[in-house]
Amino acid sequence: MTDEYEVTVTVNGRNRASRVEARRLLADFLRHDLGLTGTHIGCEQGVCGACTVLLDGRTARSCLHFAVAVDGSDIRTVEDLADLDELHPIQEMFHQKHALQCGFCTPGFLLTAVELLESTPDPDEATIREALMNNVCRCTGYANIVDAVAEAAVQLRQGRQP
Amino acid sequence: MSGDPQGAVGQGAVGQGAVAQGTVGQGAVGRGAVGQSVLRREDDYLLRGQGRFVDDLPAPLNTLHLAFVLSPYAHARILSIDVSEARALDGVVDVLTGTDLAAMVKPIAAQIELPGYSFNTRDVLAIDEVRFAGEAVAVVVAESAYLAEDGVELVDVDYEPLPALTEIGEATDPDAPQVNPTVPGNVYYEGRFATEGVDAGFEAAAHVISEDFHSSRVTAVPIEPRGCLAVPEHAGNLVFYSSTQIHHLLRTALAEFLDVAESTLRVVVPDVGGGFGIKAALYPEEFVCAALALRLRRPVKWIQDRYEALLTDVHARDNHYRVQAAVDDDGIVLALKAEIRTNGGAYSALPFGCTLETTGGARMIVGPYRITEYTYTATAVATHTAPVLAYRGVAQPVCFMAIEGIMDRIARRLELDPAEVRLRNMVPTAELPWTNIVGVRYDTGSFVESLEQAMEMANYDEFRARQEAQGRLVDGKYRGIGICTFTEVSGTGAPGWRARGLTRLPGFDSGTIKVEPTGKVTAFVSHAHSGQGHFTTFAQVVADELGARLEDVTVVEGDTAAGPYGTNTFASRSAVTGGGALIRASEKARLKLARLAAAMLESTPEDIVVAGGQLHVAGVPSRALSFGEVAETAYAMNTFDLPEGESFGIEETDFYDPPLVTMANATHIAQVAVDAGDGTVDIEGYTVVHDCGRVINPMIVDGQVMGGVAQGIGEALMEEFVYDADGQVRTATLADYLLPSSVDVPNFQIAHIESPSIDAVGGFKGVGEGGLIGAVPSIVNAVADALFDLGVNVNTKPLRPALLSRLIREA
Repeated sequence: MTDEYEVTVTVNGRNRASRVEARRLLADFLRHDLGLTGTHIGCEQGVCGACTVLLDGRTARSCLHFAVAVDGSDIRTVEDLADLDELHPIQEMFHQKHALQCGFCTPGFLLTAVELLESTPDPDEATIREALMNNVCRCTGYANIVDAVAEAAVQLRQGRQP
Repeated sequence: MSGDPQGAVGQGAVGQGAVAQGTVGQGAVGRGAVGQSVLRREDDYLLRGQGRFVDDLPAPLNTLHLAFVLSPYAHARILSIDVSEARALDGVVDVLTGTDLAAMVKPIAAQIELPGYSFNTRDVLAIDEVRFAGEAVAVVVAESAYLAEDGVELVDVDYEPLPALTEIGEATDPDAPQVNPTVPGNVYYEGRFATEGVDAGFEAAAHVISEDFHSSRVTAVPIEPRGCLAVPEHAGNLVFYSSTQIHHLLRTALAEFLDVAESTLRVVVPDVGGGFGIKAALYPEEFVCAALALRLRRPVKWIQDRYEALLTDVHARDNHYRVQAAVDDDGIVLALKAEIRTNGGAYSALPFGCTLETTGGARMIVGPYRITEYTYTATAVATHTAPVLAYRGVAQPVCFMAIEGIMDRIARRLELDPAEVRLRNMVPTAELPWTNIVGVRYDTGSFVESLEQAMEMANYDEFRARQEAQGRLVDGKYRGIGICTFTEVSGTGAPGWRARGLTRLPGFDSGTIKVEPTGKVTAFVSHAHSGQGHFTTFAQVVADELGARLEDVTVVEGDTAAGPYGTNTFASRSAVTGGGALIRASEKARLKLARLAAAMLESTPEDIVVAGGQLHVAGVPSRALSFGEVAETAYAMNTFDLPEGESFGIEETDFYDPPLVTMANATHIAQVAVDAGDGTVDIEGYTVVHDCGRVINPMIVDGQVMGGVAQGIGEALMEEFVYDADGQVRTATLADYLLPSSVDVPNFQIAHIESPSIDAVGGFKGVGEGGLIGAVPSIVNAVADALFDLGVNVNTKPLRPALLSRLIREA
């Protein structure tokens, strides 16, 4: 058994303090210590993007970070996007455009899209495709995801609040 | 953007409520739920991150975790396994080897009844000898997943490496090592078939067109790796959660091989993150996990990592086809010969066995064509590689790459257009129903129409005219167009499985309709979803057939304790078998509702109309009762006596076993640009015209097609699972095994033709696999067409830049 370290982070706006082994992956910390199982682990090799979270506002592979190494950071996961009544406009467009099937990769795509549309409110198709190219979806063939992000951009520009 | 999920051309002509007006307890007339792009019920919770995949399930606090020790060798003798250090590690509960597990789990085996099939078994952990890289030799049981991994590092296995064989061609060398003790000469199976006139056909032929086709090994790579959680309950019962597609078959197999009463087992399928056929296999880890939970009397969990997934999930498509067509001067195929060799891997995997691709390719290659004389030999060989079983399309991407490649070669030889050669050989719609040369009936379809419509949508003639005028090489890119017109096996019934030696694979599925005391409807179906949208589509079917409101129908599936037995979810079955079973059960429930309503309204059942969750007397809409009011009578929750002869409750079950197979069809046309310098392929246009009979939900059908095409693009252009000559894996990460991303997959044009099945209840045909099946041949043919002027032969996949740039250089 290895030593445990204190880690304090802000997750979805809440302060979370815990003791973890140095080797505890951020993904496992979120999923199994905090119960935020919306972040999925698809490869643990940093390739598939299913575990993508926002780390201090930027997309990060939670399978490639140790929890101790992100001590003090602000983390957003898929659980933070919707409120009790309404989905985030990006989520709503994923629903409308049938941009998910099994839904396993979807949280990673959603957070990647959040980052894109925060920095680039009016992306063209090529920009969207490039932004999503490091997330793998094996179900949809991507076209509906690209459509959903494009339509969500329109909604957000028209002032629909996330 | 052209990828319009609502863009179902030809929609609406068919697909209205199947219940005819005037029948007893007739259903909703007019615009039903079936045929509508109803948005999915599954989405909200998945989008919120509330999906419950197997690793998301709350495991009991005392859950033990497994990690497997995998062989680094493809073929080796196990001299010794020292588990003492691992077992001594704090937090490790036990370490078990093959002999330990053999006391708990019988050797597992696929049951194949084909003449000449070599029966073979697999120990769930290898004993004495390993037969592929990644085969498990020991399992560590620990208090956490991290500790289990630590334990794996401490298990010391002494191997004596032995010569390995990985290639089909090596397997039958006289001096090749024997992979499996009960598979002599490494031939699992050799099947033969011949009609009488094949030789005459070849003698009469003006031309014989021959080609060898090679298909790389691939695997499905669902983004969720496999996993399971076994939780012992009271009285020795076990609840087994698994990311499987086949919960009933898994339960039966667990009972058989663990030798426990099936009735003490319950298999539950939570959300599954993609299956694509590889989760329709029964895996050693599942048996080990269940056995250890029973043995240790504690919950046991195993979640696979990606390395294990790539090495140990079943693989597919490692096939060689040698095809010869006897052709007359008009391009008509007079006779066809196919010599098919498939690599079955080291063991015949459960439940379909290593002959799945072998018999599949041999039986499906004739496709939409009027092949009247046909012979095949179809061989499955054993090698030191991962077992081969089902991946979306099973055999069809390869056998259609072969037959469609032959059609293009006929066209080149006779200087005809490839589309014209196809049209001349196709079975026209007017001749349907038609039974093909291996006895498979095509009840309805649209081979010619799908090709003609796809050509129009793809501006095929204009493309050819431009090619003629400008040549194929423009601005440094060779441009080509490729066609695949194909039949798509779906909804296979018991006779279809028996024809392929799968006598223990049932074929039927079940549906139960329960109208609850409040009038709401629960529909149980013996399927399990992995992204198909069953909660939505099955509710659409039930709403129409029962006369319920769509929002009042809840679908329950993926649980052996909920509803009767079935064959479950693979091979494009669910719409056909689950839909058929639910239609039949709904009809029974509707009739009961009508009988009860008739008694309450002092009418006769024949005069009761059922629609929108209401029952009323025909012509008198005011004399109406809601489902809830009628259900109160069935549940004795009012003062109305249950009519004589009726039983309490409204709960009706029925089963549906489809015919031999339910044949869908489609045409795909790919337009590609091959870079003359680096050999990269851009897909500049992609058109699909698909016919899956009566469409339940066009949006979901389009999603299935698009997702399948994306996988086909991967398979045609980039995906390849590589073993080196020693059987070492060269593609053990997703950085090596390449999957298509958002910049590799284009937008699509999709249209549907609806030729409802007349053989299958409900008129539905399957749609799960066609996207992939059509993509591989159409893209390979398009690349071949692009490089036509260079005289290079394109007869293999994947068509990676390195291969194509070499072909272009050497031309």
